[in-house]
Amino acid sequence: MSGEDFDALDRGDNDGQKSDKMFTLKKWNAVAMWSWDVECDTCAICRVQVMDACLRCQGESKKDSYGKQDCVVVWGECNHSFHFCCMSLWVKQNNRCPLCQQEWSIQRMGK
Amino acid sequence: MITLNRKLKKEHTVPSNGLASEPVKRISIRDKLLIKEVQEMNENLPMTCSVHFEDPNVLNEFILTVTPDEGYWVGGKFKFSVFVTEEYNMAPPRVKCLTRLWHPNINVDGDVCLSLLRQTSIDEHGWAPTRRLKDVVWGLNSLFTDLLNFEDPLNIEAAELYNKNKTEFQAKVQEYMTKGKR
Repeated sequence: MSGEDFDALDRGDNDGQKSDKMFTLKKWNAVAMWSWDVECDTCAICRVQVMDACLRCQGESKKDSYGKQDCVVVWGECNHSFHFCCMSLWVKQNNRCPLCQQEWSIQRMGK
Repeated sequence: MITLNRKLKKEHTVPSNGLASEPVKRISIRDKLLIKEVQEMNENLPMTCSVHFEDPNVLNEFILTVTPDEGYWVGGKFKFSVFVTEEYNMAPPRVKCLTRLWHPNINVDGDVCLSLLRQTSIDEHGWAPTRRLKDVVWGLNSLFTDLLNFEDPLNIEAAELYNKNKTEFQAKVQEYMTKGKR
């Protein structure tokens, strides 16, 4: 809303004159947007959304040997996120975040 | 939360000994990645590059031809074979230069010294699973321009000649290119 509109409203209310209001506000709809609190929502290793199962787990649509279907997300101290499956394969050969090269250490894990 | 983390960690560290079944799965991971990456590579091919797939159904093997339009190797045509192993994208593609040439970073056997093709690297220049085929093409193409590196040569003789006498170096580059054409 611009300043002018407010002026119009104020005058109408204060002066009690016959209303010269252009309009009155009857209803206000607020829209909130949200996204996951991560810097990247796609796993840079397998290029699948981190909230979906990784490319490997999708291929094995059956439950894995632990009877679990979960393909969890892992956040590093650098705030970059990946699928745990993807990242655990990579850190075996290089314990750095492939996006920022920082030493990889896990900040949290989950969905 | 802590106990959950521990539990997950424990469960996920176990499979490293069950390697036997892994290669089979990885083939499909590579091929899934390649379907997207080959297309992306084709859409982003530099003007000086072309790729050729011997078998259009096999995406993990192709020939890259670089025809530099500036620098010492102008007028030459250099072929590289690119082989994407099953370990992709945890491991970089294997690249060989099929054209004999005089270059500080490519030896006469066709071995290519390019940091992004290095599997283990302590800096940000080495291989990372975040890299894609188009980056590999870009890197090989840049070996003739921006990434040309005389400081850390594979063909030491070529780098030494360059430092000693640039005209002679240029002549030798030309000599190899004429020989190569036949």
